Amino acid sequence: MSNAIYAALARQSGLMTEMQVVANNLANSSTTGYKSDRAIFAEFVAGTHNNLADLSMGTLAGHEFDLEQGGLRFTNGSFDLAIQGEGYFLIETPQGERLTRAGHFQLNAESELITDTGFRVLNAGGGAIQIPEEATNVSIAGDGTISFDGQIIDQVGVVQPDGQLSRAGDAMFAAEEGFQPVEEPRIVQGALEQSNVSPVLEIARMIEVQRAYEAGQALIEREDDRIAKFISTLRQL
Amino acid sequence: MKSLQIAATGMAAQQLRVDVISNNIANMSTAAYRPRTAEFADLMYQQYLTPGTISSQVGTVVPAGVQLGTGVKPSSVSMEITQGSLRQTGSELDIAIDGTGFFEVQLPSGESAYTRDGKLNRSAEGQIVTKDGFELADGITIPEDARRISISSDGEVVAYFANEAQGQAIGTISLVRFVNEKGLEAMGDNMFLETEASGAPNRLVPATEGVGILRQGYLEDSGVDVVQEISELIEAQRGYELNSKVITAADEMLAATTRVR
Repeated sequence: MSNAIYAALARQSGLMTEMQVVANNLANSSTTGYKSDRAIFAEFVAGTHNNLADLSMGTLAGHEFDLEQGGLRFTNGSFDLAIQGEGYFLIETPQGERLTRAGHFQLNAESELITDTGFRVLNAGGGAIQIPEEATNVSIAGDGTISFDGQIIDQVGVVQPDGQLSRAGDAMFAAEEGFQPVEEPRIVQGALEQSNVSPVLEIARMIEVQRAYEAGQALIEREDDRIAKFISTLRQL
Repeated sequence: MKSLQIAATGMAAQQLRVDVISNNIANMSTAAYRPRTAEFADLMYQQYLTPGTISSQVGTVVPAGVQLGTGVKPSSVSMEITQGSLRQTGSELDIAIDGTGFFEVQLPSGESAYTRDGKLNRSAEGQIVTKDGFELADGITIPEDARRISISSDGEVVAYFANEAQGQAIGTISLVRFVNEKGLEAMGDNMFLETEASGAPNRLVPATEGVGILRQGYLEDSGVDVVQEISELIEAQRGYELNSKVITAADEMLAATTRVR
């Protein structure tokens, strides 16, 4: 078979995956604390039989998230928290500790601070955050200090991962290499960090992907024609 | 081709957002209504290449890996804890709660429901009932010959009679608070039911331990901010359109594939 078709095929399947990344970004354009994704392609060189020229193909090598700050949406909810600048909230899940930028928290029946999905939000020391039941107007300071009626109750933990993050769904990330507390976090009470997906960028990328895909398809078509012509010419000889 | 399904989850999410917004706008004049907000979370990721996978004999690792998202899901539709503005009505059985807390209502089934709608009435037997005719759990009966009643900010109900200057205390309206008000189950008719998530009801005297005070002659307006809802609506509509564009593009890519043969 023709190598040109294989090269085009590798590109096509990569583009399909990239389209999936774009679709996922756009689907999450309203997800609190979502960070947009980018697919990274790497050249993959395959040796051809005659060693005259190597064939180069594109392969999906990795992806990265765009960790840019999302815009803040003010909600005035007392347990709606947003982090400005670096850092993540620490969440306790059955799979281990998870990091998130989505600060849409509430209290559970035991008066502990929890996420939408019911997991405990942890304090600077790694324990659950207990809010006194009679506290109605809890204020959370810029460094995460929770106070009520002039008394300090606890401090929301904000951490920074040591290595790379991997996604864990529910707007959470897993930090396999551990994390460190952030020295001076900046927390905004009554606000939520919106998704940092830029619709304009994503649509532009989507069009790019779509056209590149069509171009690849045209190449395969032409290559197919060429082979057909080659075969028919052979037959006439 | 997963892009189609992913975009479909995105459209479904924006659709849900529009549903929530339309319910808020429909309730812009409902007494003591608290607006709801839909929150979303990303779905699970497919691990194509796990970050940290060893990439050579010397132990180098793949820094980022390949994780492919599969879309979005609604994570919660939660009640915003807001205080609606208080509107003066002058009616003696209109009571607004200024602060946190709920009135406890006795349902016909014997269960308790909780409401902030203080549009109360007097039943034929003189009991204080909600506008649906359900009795307030405090079980206060207003004497038939009472000329007027007054309700203090801490819930004490005093009846005044035609021939006496001194009023007579006939009971106390208590307020109920929950640890997690967002965990209450809305049952319609401005009423809520206790759930596992809300915690147990805690009956308190108004103006103590952080619960609100009562204001006789006022009603709490709906907490819906129409301007905010409309701007959210525009956002949701555009979000829906963006996702539909992905479906169109993915469809055209599939069409290009099928054109080859």
